[in-house]
Amino acid sequence: MNENELMDGLRELRGGEPREAPRHVEERLLAEFRKRSGRRQTAWWQAGVIGAIAAGIAALVWLAGVTANRAPHTVAELRPEAAVLESVAEEDTSDFYPLPAAEALPAVETAMVVRVELPMSSLRLMGYPVNEEPSGEPVQADVLLGQDGLARGVRVVE
Amino acid sequence: MLDSPSHSDDDLLRLLSEGNEEAFLEFYRRHQGVVYRFGLQMSGKTEIAEEVTQDVFMTLMSAAKNYDLKRGSVPAYLYGIARNFVLRSIEREKPYLTVLDDPEREYASRLAGDQDTLGDLTRNEKLESLRKAVLALPPAYREVVVLCDVNELDYAEAASMLGCAVGTIRSRLHRARALLIEKMRAAERCTA
Repeated sequence: MNENELMDGLRELRGGEPREAPRHVEERLLAEFRKRSGRRQTAWWQAGVIGAIAAGIAALVWLAGVTANRAPHTVAELRPEAAVLESVAEEDTSDFYPLPAAEALPAVETAMVVRVELPMSSLRLMGYPVNEEPSGEPVQADVLLGQDGLARGVRVVE
Repeated sequence: MLDSPSHSDDDLLRLLSEGNEEAFLEFYRRHQGVVYRFGLQMSGKTEIAEEVTQDVFMTLMSAAKNYDLKRGSVPAYLYGIARNFVLRSIEREKPYLTVLDDPEREYASRLAGDQDTLGDLTRNEKLESLRKAVLALPPAYREVVVLCDVNELDYAEAASMLGCAVGTIRSRLHRARALLIEKMRAAERCTA
């Protein structure tokens, strides 16, 4: 045998081999592919549910914020969870006018600000310095509440 | 559903990596023959060829995104994956293989007394002897013969697939062909 005969023989070998893998190989692979795709779809489905829950929570938080910012409210109408504007540190409470009754209360450790609507006359009764003549028109005010829920200060919202 | 009857391999790989079953089937049917034949030509055993085919396409299910067109054709990419599985199978089955496969020993002398290749060497018998001779080559020689001579892959592709220089492919082929000719001549002498 020489090299040419060898090369012819090798080419012939290719023709003599089976051309296809048996059918059951395809079936096994297809079953495996479906199993993996199923797992992938389940993962997407789970991610979707988690995403939907997260979006729901975000929407609730946003709605609470919108409700809290929606003014005016009377004190009686305020729901505690909707009225909370922000939690503030003690040092951030300096622009509140201290209420006379608050002097006897414990120092503020954790404060909350609640936006309410009050008649100007009520502010004056609290000792808030009001220059204008009291009118019947209500004004928006932020009330500073201490950790015990008792009012410590007030400020008028411009 | 696949809209076009013939997608490019690139498209099919992308689609199948996204879980498209039809893309997987089309890709499998297009290329399974190449992988199966390679497994069979390298091992001589249908069960290894089936196992290799299965392993290659299972690998592809999770690694289809790794294919880079710039690094070679799809068949070369598949040969590359198949080769790893074939060599692993051959290594695993080494103690059970009937054909001697020891690169340390002189190839022709080992088979000179092989009674299976004696007798009337009709065309089919010659081919059968050649097939056995290829299977008895050390794997490094066998794979270049299977890739370049049997499956007519070009040298550059084979070199890129095996991670060696084109010159290495040439020299391995040269040596492999010499071994095959020697073996076939020995078989012919025995029948004379």
